[in-house]
Amino acid sequence: MDINRIVNLAAYAGKIMLESGAEIYRVEETIIRISKNYNIDDIDAFVTLNIIIISASDKYGQTISLIKRVRQRTLNLEKISQVNNISRHIKDEAYTLDEMENKLSKIQYSKPYSTKIIILFSGIAAAFFSLVFGGNLHDFLVSFIIGCILSILSKSLGLLQANEFFINIICGAVTALIALSSVQLEIGSHVDTIIISSIMLLVPGLSITNAIRDTMAGDLISGISRGIEAFLVAIAIAVGTGSILKLWLVLGGL
Amino acid sequence: MIINSIYILIATLCFGIIGNVRGKNLVFSSIGGGITWFLYSISSHYIGSSSILCFFIASVFASIYSEIMARILKTPATTFIIGAIIPLVPGGNMYNAMFQYVQGNINQSLLIAFKTLAIAGSIAVGIFFISSVFKASALFNRNFFKHNRL
Repeated sequence: MDINRIVNLAAYAGKIMLESGAEIYRVEETIIRISKNYNIDDIDAFVTLNIIIISASDKYGQTISLIKRVRQRTLNLEKISQVNNISRHIKDEAYTLDEMENKLSKIQYSKPYSTKIIILFSGIAAAFFSLVFGGNLHDFLVSFIIGCILSILSKSLGLLQANEFFINIICGAVTALIALSSVQLEIGSHVDTIIISSIMLLVPGLSITNAIRDTMAGDLISGISRGIEAFLVAIAIAVGTGSILKLWLVLGGL
Repeated sequence: MIINSIYILIATLCFGIIGNVRGKNLVFSSIGGGITWFLYSISSHYIGSSSILCFFIASVFASIYSEIMARILKTPATTFIIGAIIPLVPGGNMYNAMFQYVQGNINQSLLIAFKTLAIAGSIAVGIFFISSVFKASALFNRNFFKHNRL
């Protein structure tokens, strides 16, 4: 078998997982499992948050190494689950290289939920959080609108390749602005409930859980970077909402 | 309390859709979120509202649920943990700390910020603890049965 092709395939699988937000140990395990299945036993993979390094040698002593840079990370739990399933069943089903390539590219280009649905459900999520945090129907309505706007905003800023902290500052500021003005116009009734339930959409839940799981598995570099990312995102949200609140206070609102 | 848990269930369902979870996993991850919030509100009713212990109990339950579900449905545990943890994330305390700071009450703000950090830490310790137990038990099982066969 061609060692180049096998290592490239393994790296491709790892890249899909890392881009969808998988834990580091899962990516490393997948790469090693795929290569071992095709009889390359001498393989090492080193993965951090944005790079995959693989080095492998076959039985003739021929060595190959490969680096893949991963730039964007999104949240796509379905892709992680599917790649994980394929790599676990690779031995039982005896997939050939061609089959694996087909399956992986099918997963890579599988369509997520459409943008409209995601916008709608962001609104619903924020709206129901507002009911739990002690809001009434007015707050429900305002949070729904803010949720939709946040989803559109973060999607369009993401298209412009703005960095994550900038996106969160803008989103926090917009949230605070809409909440304050809606209460001023007597559409909503509690500023704090509306803001808290809307920023639940921005809160870095994935980074926190993955930071813990990475640290626990011994991947300290990625664990610490994810932890710092989560902390900075939280700070960015606070800066965004806080600056608008302060402005509102200084200008004599509230 | 129960109505609130149902609201949280719907909200976590929406979060699942945003994270592109599909089919059976979507249903079970949202149920996990609902039950976690229910446990949190029950324990905060008996222990005292928003105490750190309540968050610890809820996060321990969330991780037990997601590890078990991950083994039953053969899916990575992250799928379920994210749904269950999101309602617990202390967004409200973060907002309050920031609000007090903006108004000039530095002492109050630091107090709340410290509490927020403690809550985040207790959630982390909850996940940490349960995942380590599950990993250790899996290893124990494997080694034990290997020895038996030998």
